[in-house]
Amino acid sequence: MGKQHVIDAVKGLATEKVPWVPYSGVHSAFLIGEPADKFLQDPDLIAKGVIYAAQRYKADGIPLLFDLTVEAISMGCNHKWWPDNPPSITGHPLENKSLAESGIKIPSSKDGRWPVIIEAGKMVRAALPDVALYGILCGPLTLASHLRGVRIFTDVYKNKAIAREIIDFCGQVGGEAARIYAEEIGCDVIAITDPVASLIKPKSFREFVTPAAQSAIKVTRKAGKVSSFFICGDATKCLEEVAMVGTDGFAIDEQLNLNYVRDIALKHQVGFGGNLKLTLAMSLGLVSPREDALISLAAGGSTGYVFAPGCDMPYDVPVEHIDQVIEAIEFYNTYYARYPHHMVEK
Amino acid sequence: MASEEKRAEILKNLSEGVVEYDEDRVKEYSNIALDEKMDAYDAIMNGLAAGMEIVGDLYDRQEYFVPEILMCADALYAGLDILKPHLKIDDASGVKGQVVIGTVQGDVHDIGKNLIKMMFDVGGFTVHDLGRDVPLEKFAEEQLKTDSEIVALSAMMTTTMMGMKKVIAMIKEKNPDVAIMLGGAPVTKDVANLFGADGYAESAGNAVQEAIKMIGQLRKLKEDGVPA
Repeated sequence: MGKQHVIDAVKGLATEKVPWVPYSGVHSAFLIGEPADKFLQDPDLIAKGVIYAAQRYKADGIPLLFDLTVEAISMGCNHKWWPDNPPSITGHPLENKSLAESGIKIPSSKDGRWPVIIEAGKMVRAALPDVALYGILCGPLTLASHLRGVRIFTDVYKNKAIAREIIDFCGQVGGEAARIYAEEIGCDVIAITDPVASLIKPKSFREFVTPAAQSAIKVTRKAGKVSSFFICGDATKCLEEVAMVGTDGFAIDEQLNLNYVRDIALKHQVGFGGNLKLTLAMSLGLVSPREDALISLAAGGSTGYVFAPGCDMPYDVPVEHIDQVIEAIEFYNTYYARYPHHMVEK
Repeated sequence: MASEEKRAEILKNLSEGVVEYDEDRVKEYSNIALDEKMDAYDAIMNGLAAGMEIVGDLYDRQEYFVPEILMCADALYAGLDILKPHLKIDDASGVKGQVVIGTVQGDVHDIGKNLIKMMFDVGGFTVHDLGRDVPLEKFAEEQLKTDSEIVALSAMMTTTMMGMKKVIAMIKEKNPDVAIMLGGAPVTKDVANLFGADGYAESAGNAVQEAIKMIGQLRKLKEDGVPA
């Protein structure tokens, strides 16, 4: 399996074959016949599901979890568990309180959900030494929206000091999460995952998100691991900011044109990942998953490209659709990746 | 009655106040509209809603983002709070029907849903807002309770979007005449068709137009005696 290919691609380097990273998330629970809520709270089940998913899908890399509520729940946010989804945050402790009044602290490796995740992570790490293990942490703006609610989006204009305090704090929480994933579990790639960061102006991204992301980036670099910034939605306007945030690479979802994304990544000499159509192809099969995969591969090339879904895979995404994607990547890597036009030096 | 010149000045300030998310200005000119005995419906539709249309256009062009949209919505509601109590009962042109709206189970993202709700409010619909993270069966229960013509479902994530199909089946089983509209980041027209929905809202403005169209079709089918 191509762990080193993943690491090289995230760093923006050319690879002999395009690495494949299925973001299996709670789909790993489905694969072993367990509900998501039980799976996410049991280290043995997490390990069993992730190891099985990596092997079943011939993955070069795989996330330990794809659950952006780990940090918020570990800080005491009200939440609800689901049998077919990651948990959702139902209460926002900073909605009417300041950070100081709330008493919220940065969760350590002994707090909240972390002990279960660390135990599972160590098992997965030992079982999959040749697979790049991703540690997905909740990005600063998304975590701030968990803590503050929707008001954080207007705070970036109306209450800048409050917004900065909360988002910076969330960045520090992300720094500790990066340390846990990189140092305690041994993840190879740390992904700062901030889906809602595309909802603000590029200027606001630069003002609030970029500084807050530095803690996790610094910790990752210190641990000798690589980092990526995951963003969702139509991030066209802020993609330059994402490419310059300081991570080794970034990843986007199906709403962006991969040709545009590739050109931005090559310009900034960072890696990029995505963006299989999770809804139309992988989940519903309205578009052929095989053809969608080949289109992504043709656009992505093999310089700095990680072949992956646009976001985390739904719980019961049809396995046969993923099999079509795997056939496509094997076909591409056999016949095309060794002659990549993106690698030709001019 | 306000003079044409005064009316134009009020409408311009209401519209610009919404676009520039200037709540104080919107409040001031909403009160001026009432002082000048201007028709509240005129002020809402040609002032506030006209401003929101410009905001929608700015959002589509990615000049405005979610923070700006939320602040514009605050300004619009500041004006609606003042003007809406003064709508005349016979403003039938504004009353389009009833809609049940909510974000499906497992999904707590309600920014988009709230914008659609606001557009329905402005468009004269009676809105039954179930909020976010709504249990799937609740949509069918609320539709039957209120006899709403439309149920509008929102989902931000592909993972929660899959629940929409179950909601549609539940509602159609109990009341096949209701029109169901889907919206949200992962939803497309193809997805809406596949799930058996009657409409798809690409944006907030488009949602209201789609709803009006669906209600028109439903009423026509009922008048013609054809089961909808």
